[in-house]
Amino acid sequence: MRILIVDDSAMMRTMVKRVINLADVAVDEILEAGNGAEALALLETHDVQLLLTDINMPVMNGAELLRELAQNDRWRNLIRVIISTDGSTARRDEAASLDVRCYLEKPFSPEILRNVLNDVA
Amino acid sequence: MSSTTSPDLIGPETAHAVLTAIQSVAERSFFAAVEPCDERAFGELAVKVSRWLVATVRFEEGPLVGSMSCTLPEDLARALFDAFTGGHPSAPAPARDQVLDLVGEFSNMVCGAWLSRCASDWTFKLRPPVVEPVLQPLGADGLQLFVVVNDRPLALALRLLEPAFPAAAGAKA
Repeated sequence: MRILIVDDSAMMRTMVKRVINLADVAVDEILEAGNGAEALALLETHDVQLLLTDINMPVMNGAELLRELAQNDRWRNLIRVIISTDGSTARRDEAASLDVRCYLEKPFSPEILRNVLNDVA
Repeated sequence: MSSTTSPDLIGPETAHAVLTAIQSVAERSFFAAVEPCDERAFGELAVKVSRWLVATVRFEEGPLVGSMSCTLPEDLARALFDAFTGGHPSAPAPARDQVLDLVGEFSNMVCGAWLSRCASDWTFKLRPPVVEPVLQPLGADGLQLFVVVNDRPLALALRLLEPAFPAAAGAKA
C-alpha cells in the first residue's frame, strides 16, 4: 500500500509516519506533501491507496483537495482520512459529503491513529 | 484594526475551555501534565527561564477573529519535541526549525481544540503559526492563562479582534 500524508507541519508528518511504521500495516511507500496542491501533483503521478490529510493548510487546504478528488472518478478508490484540529460539527458534516472514511481530530494518541490504519488498510 | 475584548468570550468560561484544550493536547499528543497556576507562581518559575519562544496562531471562525499565543521556555519546547517524536533525550539535538515547527503545531492544536468546542456549528480557518524568540512572556489585552507543563511555565494569551474580512462575519458554513 502507498500512503500520502498531507500536512503543512513537517513534525506532524514525521509523527504520523512513525505511527504508520509501528502499525501492523503493509506499506510499500509513504509520500509527503505540505499542502493540497502538492498532494494533487503527487496523486497525478503515483498510485496512492490511502490519503491522510490535514484541513488547515496554506495554498490549497484539505477541504479544497477533497473537493477536487471528489470531482474526478479516477480517485474513487482512494481511501480518505482527515487528521485535523478542526473537530467542528460543520467540518465533519462537510467531510461526510466528500467520501471521507474517517475523521481523526487532533490531538490524538498514536494508538488511535494506529487503530484507524488497521481499520482502513 | 482595533482590539476588543468581549465579556462573553474573555471570561471564566473561556478560560476553563482553553485550559481544557491545552490539557487535552498536552496529555494526548505530548504525554505532558498541565496544571493551572496563578500569575505569582508563574512568575517564580519564569525568572529561572533564560530563553522563551512564542507561537501565535491567527484564527477566523464565523464572526470570531483573533489570535492565540503560547509562550514557553525553549527547554520545554525541546522536551515536548522529544515526547511528540518519540525521540530519546540523549539523541542528538533537533534542528531549530524542527523545534519551532513543533511549537507552532502545539499552539495550532490548542487553538483548534478550543475552537472546535466553542462554536461547533462553524468551520474555522487557522493561519500558519508564527513562532519567534522573545525575551519574556508578553502581556495580553485579552484573556491570559498561566499553566505549568511538566513543572515548566507556559503562558497562553487569547485576543479577540474585530472581523478582518466582512465575509467572515456572514458566511456560516
